[in-house]
Amino acid sequence: MSDLTRRSFLTWTGAGVLSLAAMSLVGCSPSGSGSNGSVRFAWWGGSDRQRAYLKALDAFTAEHPEIKVAPEFGDYDAYQERMTTQMAARDVPDVFWIPSPAVLTYRGAGLYRDLDGIEGLDLSAFSAEQIESFRLGGTLDTLPKSVFSPVVRYNTTFLDEDGVTLPDELTWDSLAEFLVDYAKDNPEGRKGTTYGPYHDMPFESFLRQRGEDLWTEDGRLGATVDGVAAWIDWWEKLRKAGATTTVSEQDGIEPSWSQVGGKVLVTFANSNHIVDDAQAFPDYVFDQRDMPAAPDAAAGHHFTYYSRFAMYSGVPEDRIQPAAALMSFNLNSPELLSLVGLSAGAPPNTALLDQYEPDATPDEQKVIAVTREIAATEQRARFEAPAGSGSWRELMIRELEEITLGQKSVPDAASAFVSAVESEIAGA
Amino acid sequence: MAHIFLLPWMIGMIGVTAGPLVASAVLAFTDYDLLSPPQFIGLDNFVRMAGDERFWAAVRVTLVYVLVSVPLQLGFALFLAVVLDKGLRGLSLYRSAFYLPSLLGGSVAIAILWRQIFGEEGLVNHVLGWFGVELGSWLQDPSLALSTLVVLNVWTFGSPMVIFLAGLRQIPEELYEASMIDGAGRVRRFWSITIPLLTPIIFLNLILQMISAFQAFTQAHVVSGGSGGPLDSTLFYTLYIYQRGFVNFDMGYASAMAWVLLLVIAAATAANFIVSRRWVYYGDE
Repeated sequence: MSDLTRRSFLTWTGAGVLSLAAMSLVGCSPSGSGSNGSVRFAWWGGSDRQRAYLKALDAFTAEHPEIKVAPEFGDYDAYQERMTTQMAARDVPDVFWIPSPAVLTYRGAGLYRDLDGIEGLDLSAFSAEQIESFRLGGTLDTLPKSVFSPVVRYNTTFLDEDGVTLPDELTWDSLAEFLVDYAKDNPEGRKGTTYGPYHDMPFESFLRQRGEDLWTEDGRLGATVDGVAAWIDWWEKLRKAGATTTVSEQDGIEPSWSQVGGKVLVTFANSNHIVDDAQAFPDYVFDQRDMPAAPDAAAGHHFTYYSRFAMYSGVPEDRIQPAAALMSFNLNSPELLSLVGLSAGAPPNTALLDQYEPDATPDEQKVIAVTREIAATEQRARFEAPAGSGSWRELMIRELEEITLGQKSVPDAASAFVSAVESEIAGA
Repeated sequence: MAHIFLLPWMIGMIGVTAGPLVASAVLAFTDYDLLSPPQFIGLDNFVRMAGDERFWAAVRVTLVYVLVSVPLQLGFALFLAVVLDKGLRGLSLYRSAFYLPSLLGGSVAIAILWRQIFGEEGLVNHVLGWFGVELGSWLQDPSLALSTLVVLNVWTFGSPMVIFLAGLRQIPEELYEASMIDGAGRVRRFWSITIPLLTPIIFLNLILQMISAFQAFTQAHVVSGGSGGPLDSTLFYTLYIYQRGFVNFDMGYASAMAWVLLLVIAAATAANFIVSRRWVYYGDE
């Protein structure tokens, strides 16, 4: 080897710095590579869901010994942040769950592989009509991994102990009146509900009853200032009447269920949440029902949310079929369902759900019941959140902080929220 | 041959530090959403900062945090160092115990614990309740939330304390003896001997802790749940950089903010060096 002079050493070092900087700007070619040829599968949840899916992946591997799976699990927020980094590096997992605010954002980034005609992807459980309903913009590039709807969840143990019953017909007004009465002089100091206007699915339900959509087909915010203000007003009346936990009691606008679950009668939630949330309070029994509805609620206001997953567009050819097999397993396997249950929602494969139902836990039976009830209703079209809208919940939370701290009126906060979201979408 | 031994460090320096540094400097002049190639936009990111309310909120919060927590931390560290310098029995044990928060304080676990301690039913409110003081969650009160982070930073006084302790051991004992002969009391000895001879160490700790405080992130992210709330009262500058880059897919703007932070830290450090000529006493002068 020739002598390495100081000048040449420093020259090569400088070249190395610039090369690395240029490479990081240009980006690497798509890889999505799992080490030693494994199919990478990414999902989110809590530790119970992590364990359940790891067992399910073992079952998949037992069924397909030629396919190795590399699991990539994360908490919901961490999952999204990691995906951001992986997207930037074009190093996305082969099969991945899609957070609801990011469906169209990821689509715009070209993450999804077209699933039409992929060998090994078994969609035989779905009708042609159903498959059409899965398409986004005419393309079948995502599939639903689970379905759920917004519900009102209530603590039946508290109802029994306090000797009250929920009204049969729940309207927004009757529910508000009930919750205020419940909280007033409650002997155990229980509150009617948490302060929850940040919650996306009930918010969307409220808007749809007014004839508005949270997101429009052409990628805009469908909520009007009046709609947002009416929603927040409903919550503010409860909060000021003492029917909700205070922001201090629930340690923020977005409460932790484990902190407040034992203090409130009712909470708004997604239909699948009861499976995990009930376990935090094993001494209580919970049930759930459809959202309250205004007497003049717009037709078709009910909706069932399809939580989606996809195959990365950069999956190498030799891993497409194994990835498709993994997706098929997620969609059709009774064994997977028996291991993971309904904590992420009911399966979109109704035959699979029927098969699972006799073995479902009591809380899962409640998920199934309300899912079926809502699925049987008239539902007008619902559209995914557009690119740029990913932080809309944070924007809502900031406005709610201003309201609850007396720094802004509801109309001003609603107006600011709408402007901020529209600005973010426009800037995307 | 020497250069070959330097190579491992150089590879790390290029790969982990210098390369990304140059890349971020270029990205600061682009519109880059992580999903599509960066688009050159000149100084637009920097111009945008001037009108960005949250940017200025983050600057205010960070400056308050630095200006309050650093002097408090150093003061507390110096006080304990002086106490421990008295030749206590079990000094090693005390030193280790007081140093432990410095190791743990920046961790996620401690930040989570802090949320519990300052929550509505946390330890702090429990103790205050003994004295008839009823408060809500400190973390949901914009006037109190930042103070919890200041307390957390002050709690991690162990590192500057150990450095102060080493500095105190360097002060010649003869000076104290001579001053005692001249009738100087404890306070006079502290202000006229200890402090002047300790100024280089104070200056070192000031620079180190100031730089660290400007870059504080984990504590604010965990304690505020990543939001910087309530009402941006805990929106540290680094947290806002993170939000813009990884939550809002605005990496060009985030890179520009990162470079502004670097320049501010450099300017603050340079200013401290200039001012130090007036108050730092080096024994060989």
